[in-house]
Amino acid sequence: MIWLAWRQHRKQALFTALGLVVLAALMLPTGLAMRQSFADKGLDDCVRALGRASLIAADADTCGRLFTEFNNQYNAMSMIGVLFLVLPLLMGLFWGAPLVAREIEHGTHRMVWTQGISRRHWALVKCGVVGAGTLAAAVGCGLGMSWWLTPISQAGQHGRFSTFFFDMQGIAPVGYTLFTVALGVFAGTVWPKVLPAMAATLVGFVGLRIALTTLVRPHYLPAETLTFPVKGATVQTNPAAGDWVVSYGIRDASGTMLTPNAQIACPPDATGPGADCGASLGIPGDAHNWQLYQPGDRFWLFQGIETAIFVALAALLLYVAVRRILRLA
Amino acid sequence: MDVVLETDQLGKRYGRAWALRDCSLRLPAGRFAALVGPNGAGKSTLLHMAVGLLRPDAGTVRVFGQAPYDSTAVLAEIGFVAQDTPLYRDFTADELFTTGAKLNRRFDTALARDRLGQIGIPRDKPVGKLSGGQRAQVALALAMAKRPRLLLLDEPVASIDPLARREFLHALTGVVAETGTTVLLSSHILADLERTCDFLIVVHASQTKLVGGVDELRGEHRQLIGPRHASPPAAGIAQVVRTSHTDRSTTLLVRTNGPIHDRAWQSHEVTLEDLILAYLADDDLGAGRTHVGWGVSA
Repeated sequence: MIWLAWRQHRKQALFTALGLVVLAALMLPTGLAMRQSFADKGLDDCVRALGRASLIAADADTCGRLFTEFNNQYNAMSMIGVLFLVLPLLMGLFWGAPLVAREIEHGTHRMVWTQGISRRHWALVKCGVVGAGTLAAAVGCGLGMSWWLTPISQAGQHGRFSTFFFDMQGIAPVGYTLFTVALGVFAGTVWPKVLPAMAATLVGFVGLRIALTTLVRPHYLPAETLTFPVKGATVQTNPAAGDWVVSYGIRDASGTMLTPNAQIACPPDATGPGADCGASLGIPGDAHNWQLYQPGDRFWLFQGIETAIFVALAALLLYVAVRRILRLA
Repeated sequence: MDVVLETDQLGKRYGRAWALRDCSLRLPAGRFAALVGPNGAGKSTLLHMAVGLLRPDAGTVRVFGQAPYDSTAVLAEIGFVAQDTPLYRDFTADELFTTGAKLNRRFDTALARDRLGQIGIPRDKPVGKLSGGQRAQVALALAMAKRPRLLLLDEPVASIDPLARREFLHALTGVVAETGTTVLLSSHILADLERTCDFLIVVHASQTKLVGGVDELRGEHRQLIGPRHASPPAAGIAQVVRTSHTDRSTTLLVRTNGPIHDRAWQSHEVTLEDLILAYLADDDLGAGRTHVGWGVSA
C-alpha cells in the first residue's frame, strides 16, 4: 500500500521538493547576507546589551541608529516572508483536497477499495504517507523561517510575536499544514470533486485562521499592562524585547484613554522642539503611556498553544473523514 | 447447489428515495448471470452492496455466506470491474498489476500479463493512452488475477464500441470457462447477453422483476397470439406478464404453470429479449419503451 501511495504521489512529491529547493536557494543566501550585515554592524552585541526586559532605561537604546540602518537596507526582505504564509494553504490544496476527491471523481475508489485491503487501511496509509511528507516540509519551512527572520525580528522591524510573523515561523506552520491537509481530505469526502474540495479547503482555512488570529490568539493568556510617565520619563520600551503589543496609547491620571496608538516620552528637563511633551495637543503633564501586551518570553508557549489547537482540529477532521470514507461508494 | 450470492429483502435508500427495495435472489455457483435493467434501475446499487462498497439500509446480502460490507475476507474472493472500468490512467498495466499484487494476498501477476500478451495490449504504456476497449481488457485482467470465485462487472461494455465489446465478452466467456468463476454482469445492452448468460436477474424501478436460470425461465414462459380481446386460456396460466394489441390480434406473454390447450391461441417460445422487455414494460415506467431505446440493435 505504501508503494501505491508513493507511486500515485511521486510526481507531486518531486514538484514539491523542487519548489522547496528553489525557496531554499532564495532564502539561504539572503539569510546569510542579513546575518553577516547584522554582525558587521555590531548589532549582536548591541542586542545582547539591550536584554529582553520590556522597559529599559531611557538612555539605554544605543542600537537605534544601527537598527534603522539595518532595517532600511533589508526593508523589502520581510515581504518575501509573506510567501510562507500561504505555503500551508498550498499543501492543503494540492496534497489534501485531491486525496479522496480525485479518486471519487475518476471512479478509481471502486477499483482500489475492492482489492484485498480495507478502506480504513487504505485511508490510514494514504493520509500517513501524505501527512509525513507534508509534515517534513512544514518542519523545514517553520524552523528555516525562524532562522531567517531572526535578524529582522531582533532589529525591531517585525517582532517574531507580531501577527503574520508569528504565523510563518516556529512550529505554528506545522500545525497549519497538518490542519489544511486534513481539511482537504475531509472536504474531499463531502464534495467528492477536486475543485469544490479545493475551494472548501481555501475558504475553511482562511476563515478559521483569520477568526483564531484576531479573536482568540490574544486571549491564550491574559495580556499584561505596563505604564510609564510621559513627562520626565526615565524608561522606554525595549525594541528588542520581542513583546507582542496588543494595544497602546496615552491615558490621563484617571485612566481615560486620551490618544490611542501614540506614545510620548520626554526626558527630564527636556529642551527644544517637543519639550512641551504634548501639552499643545492637550495632554496633561500627569498623563502616562499605557501598553497592553503579551511578553516576548511567551512566544514558544503561544506557538505551542496555536499548534496544539490546529493539530487537534486536524486529528478530529481526519477521524471524521475516515468514518465518511467508509460510507462512500 | 452452492449459492454464491444471496440477498433477502435487500434495500438501499438515498435520502427518502429507495435505489433498491425488497430485492431477494439467490445466484448459484458456476453461473454466468446477467443483471439487466434500464439506467437508474438499481443495478449499480445492488452490485455495490454485493462487493461491500455500500452498506444495506434494509435486509441482508451475503456473499459466500458472509456480509460483504467492510469485509476483507469477502474482498479476497471477489473480483470487481466497476462502471467505466476505472483505472489509474497514469499507471501502466504492469504498475496496475504490481498494485494488485501489493494489495491482495492472492494475486496471479503472471496470469494477468499472459492475458494481455495474448490479445496484444502493451503493458508498458500508461493505460490512459489505451483505447476504451483495451482499458476494459486491462481491468478484466486485473480483476481475474485475483483468481476470484465471484466476478462482478458493472456495465463493463457500455462505453466501448461494438467490436471491442464483442472481443471483451469473448475474452470474458473464455476466462470464465477456464476457471469456473461465477459471473454477475450488469448491462443495459440486451443483444450481448443473449449469447453469453445462463442466468437472468431483471431489475426495474428499484425492484427485482425476474430471477432465474435462462432455460428455466424460457421454458415456463410462452407467447400467445389470439383474436383481439379474446379472453385468455382458462388453464395453465400463472400470470399474464404483458398484453399488447394490434388491429386484429392480441399478444400475451404469460408465465405458465401447466400445459395450455386452447385452440383460439397459438403458443410460441419466447426469446430472452422478449422476456426481458415484457418484464420491464409491465408497469407505467416501462410502457412505451422500444427496442431502439434499449440499444438492442447496437
